[in-house]
Amino acid sequence: MSFPIRYLIAFVIAPIVLLLGFGSALIAWSSFPLTFSDVYQTLFHFDSTSIEQQILATTRVPRLLTGMLIGANLAVAGVLMQGLTRNPLASPSVLGINSGAACFIALSSIGIHLIGEVSTLLAAAVGGVVSGTLVMLLGGFFSARANPLKLVLAGIAINALLIGITRAAVILADDRAFSVITWLAGSLANISWQDWHTLWPSSLIGLVISVYVAKNLNLLALGNEVAVSLGINIAMTRLLACIAIVLLTASSVAVVGPIGFVGLIVPHIARRLVSNNFLLLLPVSALLGSCLIAWADALSRGISFPAETPVGVITALIGTPFFVFLTIRNKL
Amino acid sequence: MNAMKLPMLGVLVILASIASLLVGASDISVADIANTLLSQGEYDFIINQYRLPRICLALGVGAGLGLSGALIQGVIRNPLASPDLMGISAGAGLAATTLLVFYAAAPVYLLLFTALSGGLIAAAIILVIAYKTRPTPMRLALIGIAVSTFLSSGIDFLIIVNPIEMNSAMVWLTGSLWGRNWTQVPIIWVTLATVLPFAFWLAWRLDVMGLGEDTATSLGIRPSKLQLMALLTAVILASISVAVAGTIAFIGLLAPHLARMLFGHHHKQLIPASALLGALMLIISDTLARGLQPPLELPAGVLTSLIGAPYFIFLLQRYKAW
Repeated sequence: MSFPIRYLIAFVIAPIVLLLGFGSALIAWSSFPLTFSDVYQTLFHFDSTSIEQQILATTRVPRLLTGMLIGANLAVAGVLMQGLTRNPLASPSVLGINSGAACFIALSSIGIHLIGEVSTLLAAAVGGVVSGTLVMLLGGFFSARANPLKLVLAGIAINALLIGITRAAVILADDRAFSVITWLAGSLANISWQDWHTLWPSSLIGLVISVYVAKNLNLLALGNEVAVSLGINIAMTRLLACIAIVLLTASSVAVVGPIGFVGLIVPHIARRLVSNNFLLLLPVSALLGSCLIAWADALSRGISFPAETPVGVITALIGTPFFVFLTIRNKL
Repeated sequence: MNAMKLPMLGVLVILASIASLLVGASDISVADIANTLLSQGEYDFIINQYRLPRICLALGVGAGLGLSGALIQGVIRNPLASPDLMGISAGAGLAATTLLVFYAAAPVYLLLFTALSGGLIAAAIILVIAYKTRPTPMRLALIGIAVSTFLSSGIDFLIIVNPIEMNSAMVWLTGSLWGRNWTQVPIIWVTLATVLPFAFWLAWRLDVMGLGEDTATSLGIRPSKLQLMALLTAVILASISVAVAGTIAFIGLLAPHLARMLFGHHHKQLIPASALLGALMLIISDTLARGLQPPLELPAGVLTSLIGAPYFIFLLQRYKAW
């Protein structure tokens, strides 16, 4: 096989698209006119008296970085989940991990501490683990004849339940309701450097772990028996992958709220481009995930300028037709 | 015993309605309520203009959704089918929200018409997909849920993009019976009154359909025509319910299932039982929604999904023939 055009798309075109998305997310559809030269100035000759550069440095740059990292996180988590469950519909939002994390954060932010008073991040992680485990149990993932569709339907049901609990709790706790509701839609609108600092450490650990298990996942894809005979510790691999999924998803949800469907769409596109090798699949998915969020973020500002649409709504509008398409295809 | 079940269910609905009259932000004694209902009392406004229309609405909408679910499940013979899981409610909701966003003062008949066409379009989309791909029950449910999610993110989008016009849409959308009055009551009840005889007309035909299409044809029934009519009825009921009370999830799924547990598979009993159970569920949800922490109100739709989602999971566990 000569150097295929898909690799060209994956490794050349995608970064260019990312760069364009980068630029447009930074300056396009801004209520305050910004230009590329402002970006350049901010990066290389920062002048703290210029309003343009202050806007870029304090709101736009952290917003874009956070969004891109979250895109990468969710896409990688999606790849891991689809690899682990061997289910093309698996992703953090479909299997209820997003809404579990969101539910626990919402509960703890209105003063109901199910697990004692802990940081948002920990609450999100615990919520993700709880809902993920529930979905796996109820969806019959551990039974001998696991049905992929049943798993997804269980995820959807748990989703509905958790969203119901979250909404009820938020409404009953009135005083902080509004901020939680906007956060629940999954918006990048109010991101600051502080959010970036909560996000990157756990994301980094999660990404490192996922790269570490990538090779084992490749072998696991050959089937459990083959993997065991090649000396893979299956339980350990799964556990590590689950830890990575929880870290990546929980940190993303804790910072921007639940953003759906990134983890569902991106792995499929990436698989088309670079086939099933996890060592390639993970970085390409991360790249594409960042692209998707960068563009969705730019769109979320442009689509009803000057009002901001939560980026989660945009990804849902893109993602659900894709989901229908995947469901219709008779490959499950 | 079996003959007594339906009347008993009816009595239960009436009892729940009476209990619902007693619950609310202001404490009113039973004597006062009776007094107000029989002759004009000092609580005239709260009872007659606020709680009573709301109870009538809850009964009508619940019955409509339950009936719609029973018809859909009867036709598609899919235990996971229901108006909200098939995207019909969301379709009606999206159409009506669009109308309210661009024309906030829309008259009621226009709202009804729009919701109805939205529901029909969504149903048509699902049916075309189902016809083309011949999905298993589970896959059909998934497709329906995905279409439904798409439509409801469309609703989210409209609401967020048009923050000024959103108030009327918001109130209407959350699946709540708050802020309704007598004007909406006749809409749902007239619909029910027209559709119910037709549903009974369908009842034994749906039973025959359950024997298989060939048997049904040899007994003088045209399956495709019958299916279409029953589905159309179900869509009309669901869309009107949405137009009146917003999207209230899971009643259309649960009521027929419970009815089947209690009454077996004969549609002649299943149809009124689903309607009654739907009404019962919505009135209980709405009463809880008002009574949990007055004067705060939960949308009734939130409560129904708290009850409905676990039941959906239970269905998944029980149904073995995937």
